[in-house]
Amino acid sequence: MFIHVFNGLVYGALLIIMCSGLALIYGLRRVVNFAHGSLYMLGAYIGYSVAAMTSFWIAIVAVPMVMATLGVALDRWGFRLLQDREPLAVVLVTFGLLFIIEDLVQTVWGTSNLTVSTPTALAFSVDILGSKIPAYRIGVIVVGLSVAVSLTAWLRYSRIGLFVRASSTDPTTTSMQGVNTDTLSAMVVGLGTALAGLAGVIAAPFLSLSPSMSSDVIIDSFVVVVIGGLGSLAGAFIAALALGMVHALGAVWLPEVSVLLPFLLMAAILIWRPSGIAGSRT
Amino acid sequence: MTNARLLLSTAMALVFGTVAASAIASNLVLSLMTQATILAIFALGVGLLLRQNGMVSFGHALYYGTAGYVVAILLTTRIVSVELAIAAAILGLSAFAFIIGLVVVRVPGVAFSMLTLALGQMAYLTASRSRGLTGGADGMSVEWPSTLFGLSSAAIVQPASIFTLAWTVLVLLLFLLAVVLRGRFGSITEAIRDNEERARFIGINTVVPRAALYAMSAAVTAIAGVLASLNTGFVSPESLHWSLSGMTLMMVVVGGTRVLWGPAFGAAVFFLAKDMLGEHAQHWMAAFGIALIVIVVFAPEGLSGLIHRLWRQRIVRRPIVKLETVYQTVSRRG
Repeated sequence: MFIHVFNGLVYGALLIIMCSGLALIYGLRRVVNFAHGSLYMLGAYIGYSVAAMTSFWIAIVAVPMVMATLGVALDRWGFRLLQDREPLAVVLVTFGLLFIIEDLVQTVWGTSNLTVSTPTALAFSVDILGSKIPAYRIGVIVVGLSVAVSLTAWLRYSRIGLFVRASSTDPTTTSMQGVNTDTLSAMVVGLGTALAGLAGVIAAPFLSLSPSMSSDVIIDSFVVVVIGGLGSLAGAFIAALALGMVHALGAVWLPEVSVLLPFLLMAAILIWRPSGIAGSRT
Repeated sequence: MTNARLLLSTAMALVFGTVAASAIASNLVLSLMTQATILAIFALGVGLLLRQNGMVSFGHALYYGTAGYVVAILLTTRIVSVELAIAAAILGLSAFAFIIGLVVVRVPGVAFSMLTLALGQMAYLTASRSRGLTGGADGMSVEWPSTLFGLSSAAIVQPASIFTLAWTVLVLLLFLLAVVLRGRFGSITEAIRDNEERARFIGINTVVPRAALYAMSAAVTAIAGVLASLNTGFVSPESLHWSLSGMTLMMVVVGGTRVLWGPAFGAAVFFLAKDMLGEHAQHWMAAFGIALIVIVVFAPEGLSGLIHRLWRQRIVRRPIVKLETVYQTVSRRG
């Protein structure tokens, strides 16, 4: 029993890292980023190559930096130029980006499954409540929770965090107060993309790398951010943990319908509250 | 478009289909054109919802795939005739979509897209997992009987005749929709699309027309699904997957929704381009990604909008500022 709850937490932690990026980008740019899952996959594959050449610990630092650069570029030459266009246009641009990244990944790394071995420092297991728990998975939970805590602290207590919150409530008024919302957005999209890359590197040792890994996770991420309320970080954290649990426990108790549960949950919540559990806008 | 022009272009399109079917000798080309036409009907359904309701469905593969499955399952039970099975698939799905529509059209914006995505994925997962009824991930073959609407099935699935059938269905659907949308129903749905609140204030029920439109778009999509199952004799869970819905949405946007035939045109261009690219390059995904971005960025009204604009520029002197644009700008800002 404990092992299932634990695995739910691991997946929830991974979703927290994914979805905080997705929610931040939506908050600042009002963009539903369909390419977010592909960016996660790209991060995982780059992490694979870096880890193969050097070590996993270098990959976990280098990949988010590479992805952040990519994210800043995406905002500067993508979202910023399209900010006056209707939302569907931008969604479709990210959809186009998804195809480009998938093609890139298949061309560079091929279509067969790849694995990244668990770093030796964490390749042991711990006995908790009679279950053998791999230490690496505990590490994933720790990273997920630290991302959640540090993002919340950053948004709450720093000056830039204040600007980010203001800008996601009302970009026009915020820029009238002298805040450079374009720079702010570039920063936030960079951060969101870096988080997608981080999620990819972290997932690599316990999920195998394949070209289909992006579409599995993007749907779950959408479910999370929509349930949580688009653009709301707190909502996304709660929804991510809830979805992780639904996945893990559903597979045990209701194996027949477990794959449908996330969607049923999402449909029920959207019909009840179209803006999600913590969202004030649609 | 005036009545005369509408009738004339419909008749011309019908004649074109018949002539093309008999003039093209290559079965390969005909079968490609058939697939393109079926996708065009699918895109017409998705585009109808976007054009007339302003709603982006990310789950229309639900109606496309389910239509095929309903026909296939009803045919394996052997208790209903094939004509009844087809009618049940199309009418049943329309009724289902209307009831679903009464709930989902109230959900605005991105949430609507995600809700439709969820509905579609539920159907996909159900079909790919319930082995007994749907054959699971392998899909199931559709056992068409030897006669269909009094004609021999073998004759209908000949490349030339199935192309003519699909083409005729497409043209008639375009004609029907053009007629329906010119009337009161069209004006009401456009009013709701442009400003739901104002439409409600002047006494229009804003939920039922949108649900009806959602059902109409589902019906068009279901027709495409039935035609696809007739064409290939096979249904698989891939026909329910969200990536198919996303692809179709791409075709709709590439074609543009300013004119009714835009999405259908987009689908045809998309499909034929994919086929031509597929033979020469392995990188069709990247090519499509780039093409999609270029079209969305530089031709916001899609290919049909581009054609439409070029055509208008040649024959009509454009006014300096169009009243429509002013109105749209004002209502968007306000």
